[in-house]
Amino acid sequence: MRIAITGAGIICAAGNGTEQTLESIRLLRSGVGKVTLFPTEHDVPVCEVKYSNHALKRLLKIPAGQHVSRTALLGMVAARQALDDAQGGRTGENSGEAGEWRGGSGRSGRNNGNGSAGGNGLRTGLISATSVGGMDLTEDFYREFLACDSGGRLRDVVGHACGDSTEKIAACCGIDGFTSTISTACSSAANAIILGAQLIRRGILDRVIAGGTDALCRFTLNGFKSLMILDGEHCRPFDDSRAGLNLGEGAGYVVLQRDDTLDREPYCYLTGYANANDAFHQTASSENGEGAYLAMREALEKSGLEPREIDYINAHGTGTSNNDASEAAAIVRLFGSGTPRFSSTKPFTGHTLAAAGGIEAVLAVLAVAKGIIYPNLNFKTPMRGTGPVPETAYREGEKIGNVLSNSFGFGGNNSTLIFSAR
Amino acid sequence: MAYYINAAAASGELQTGINELIPAPDLRRRMSRVVKAGVAAAMECVAKMPEGEEISAIITATGLGCLADSEKFLRNIIENDERLLNPTPFIQSTFNTVGAQVALLTGNHGYNMTYSHGGQGFESAMLDAMIRIDENGAKNVLVGAFDERTPTLRRIMERTKVRKYAPQTETGESEEAYFFIISAEPRENCLGELVSLEFPQAGMTETEALSAHGLDVETAVVIRNDQAAGCFSCTASAQAFMQGLGKLGGAVRNVVIHNRYTGGMSTLITLKCL
Repeated sequence: MRIAITGAGIICAAGNGTEQTLESIRLLRSGVGKVTLFPTEHDVPVCEVKYSNHALKRLLKIPAGQHVSRTALLGMVAARQALDDAQGGRTGENSGEAGEWRGGSGRSGRNNGNGSAGGNGLRTGLISATSVGGMDLTEDFYREFLACDSGGRLRDVVGHACGDSTEKIAACCGIDGFTSTISTACSSAANAIILGAQLIRRGILDRVIAGGTDALCRFTLNGFKSLMILDGEHCRPFDDSRAGLNLGEGAGYVVLQRDDTLDREPYCYLTGYANANDAFHQTASSENGEGAYLAMREALEKSGLEPREIDYINAHGTGTSNNDASEAAAIVRLFGSGTPRFSSTKPFTGHTLAAAGGIEAVLAVLAVAKGIIYPNLNFKTPMRGTGPVPETAYREGEKIGNVLSNSFGFGGNNSTLIFSAR
Repeated sequence: MAYYINAAAASGELQTGINELIPAPDLRRRMSRVVKAGVAAAMECVAKMPEGEEISAIITATGLGCLADSEKFLRNIIENDERLLNPTPFIQSTFNTVGAQVALLTGNHGYNMTYSHGGQGFESAMLDAMIRIDENGAKNVLVGAFDERTPTLRRIMERTKVRKYAPQTETGESEEAYFFIISAEPRENCLGELVSLEFPQAGMTETEALSAHGLDVETAVVIRNDQAAGCFSCTASAQAFMQGLGKLGGAVRNVVIHNRYTGGMSTLITLKCL
C-alpha cells in the first residue's frame, strides 16, 4: 500500500493558502515584521499571520463572541483548506477561503454534511500537533488570576490543553474518526504526519489530515529570548553571520490517503519517514548531527531511495548557530559530495515551532508537484569551514522526483519526511 | 502479533531509590516534580531489562504537560516584565521533556514520541508502541503517562465546577507517572499479554471486546475508568492499565479496561494471563 498526498492547507506569515504563500516566496517577499499581536518589551522581528483573531473568525464564520485560541483558529483554517483541497475541485493551488464553521465546542456539534469529512465512506482521522495549545488565551487569564485567584475569565483557560485545539479542528472539519495530538516541540507536525501514515498502513484509517498549528505568544517569545537564540535582525539560515531564529506562527496540514481509494491524481506520495533522537542535550544539537543523520538515513532506507535520488532538501534551518552547523554536518555526512540542492524557507515563515513540520511538508509537497526549488533568503556567505551553499533563487518547473524535509526539536527529537512524485 | 508487558513502574510505588534511578544530583535538582516522577518511573522499567537488551522506542503521554514549570515561567514573564528570565522552567515546560531526559540518560537514539491528547494520550502511545513492534521490528518499547496537579489547577477546577477534583496533598501539588515495557517476546516475570486496544466508533460492549479476541468472559474482570463521572485525571487510563495488570493471575485470566471520556472516543483494552 502507498500513502498518497491528496490535499494541502497552509496559513503563515507568507500567506493564507498555497496560492498566496507560493506567490510571496516567488517574489522573495518575507512575512517578517514587528510584534503587533500583544504588547512586549522585546523589539525583535517575528513572522505573524496577517489576520487578527477577529479576522480569522470571520474567515471561518465563527461568531465573534466565541472564545477560541489563536492556535485552534489557525489550525482550523489550514486543516479545512487541506480537506477541501482533497475533496473539492482542486486547481493546483488553493485560495485560503474556508468553508463555514459548523462545529460546536465538542464532538456532538460535528456535522457530516457538505464540506465535512463524512459521507464518502472513507474513515478519516485527524492528527494535529501543537506546542503551546491555548497558551495565548491562558496568558490573558493568568495575569488576572495572579492578582486574585477569583480573577481571570475561565473561558480563556478551559482551552489550554494541547488536545483541546485538536478537538476544535476536528469539529470544524467534521471528523468523527480517530484523533490525537502530538507535542514533541519543533518536530511535532512531522511526527503527526508519520503517525498518520502508520495509521493508514495499519488499516485503522483510510485518510488522515495531519500537520500542526502554533500561535505566536508571549510564552514562546520570552522563552526563546531567555535562551538567547532570537536574532535581532531578519534570520539568515546557513549564513556565516547567522545569529538566531525569528519566531513565526501558523498552521500546515496535508491529507494522507490510501492509494487504492484515490479518485484522481494525487500531489505526490509520502515514501519515507523516520524519527530518531540525538540524545545529546535538552536544547542543543550534537556537533555531528547524529540524530539528524539517523533520521535522514532511516527515512531514505524506508523509501528505498539512494541518497543521489533526493533532488531537494527543505532543511530545518532555523538560523541558530547550533542548528544550522549540526544539520549541515549531518547532511554532508550522509550525502557527501553529492549533497542535493537545499534551502531553509524559515526566512519567509519564521520558525513556526510545532507547525513548522506541517508548513514545510506542504511546501515539500508543492515542490514535488510543481518542480519548485525554494530560495534560502538572506544567504550571502557560507559557514566557516566547508559550509554547504543553499539555493538562493526561486525555480519552478524543475524535474523534482524526491524531496526530503527535516524537522528537529528540543529534547533531541529529529524527524525526516520524504515526498516522491511516484 | 502479540505484545507482552514485561515491566511496570508507578512513581508512587518505586522500588528503587530516586538517587539510584537519577544519579546526577544537579540533574535531579533541576527537574520539576513531574519530570522527576516520570523519569524515575521510566528508569525503573529500564533497570528491569535483562542485560544486553535495549529499548527500541520511548513513547510518553501527558494531558497538561509540565504544568508547574509552565506556570513558573508565565509568572516570571509577568512579575519581571519580560526581563532577565531564567530559561530553565521554559526548557522543562516542553511536553517531551520526560521522553527526552530518558533518551539522554540511556543514550537512546531510537524513536521518541510524546502525545498530549487530554486523558486519551496514553491510548495513542500504546497504539504507537504496538505499531513499533508490528511494523518496525521493535523488541522493547517504553510507554508511559505522566501528569501533575498544582494549586492553580485545583483552583481552576474548583471554579469550573465541571468535574470533581482528585484528592489533594496538603500543598495542592501532586504528580503521577506510570511506565511499562511492552515487548515482542515474553520474559521471565512477564506481567501479562496486551491482547487488543480498540477505538470503536460504533460502540462496543466489554463482553464484545473480550469475545472478539476469544477471551473467556467468565474469568474476566472489568475495570471501568469513567472520566465522564469520576475525578479528573489525565493519567487515569495508565493507572487503570496498571490496576489491570495487578488483577491478572489466579482465577482472573482476562481483564478488560473500558475508558470512557466526556464527549470523546471510548477505548477498550484487553489483557490476559500468559
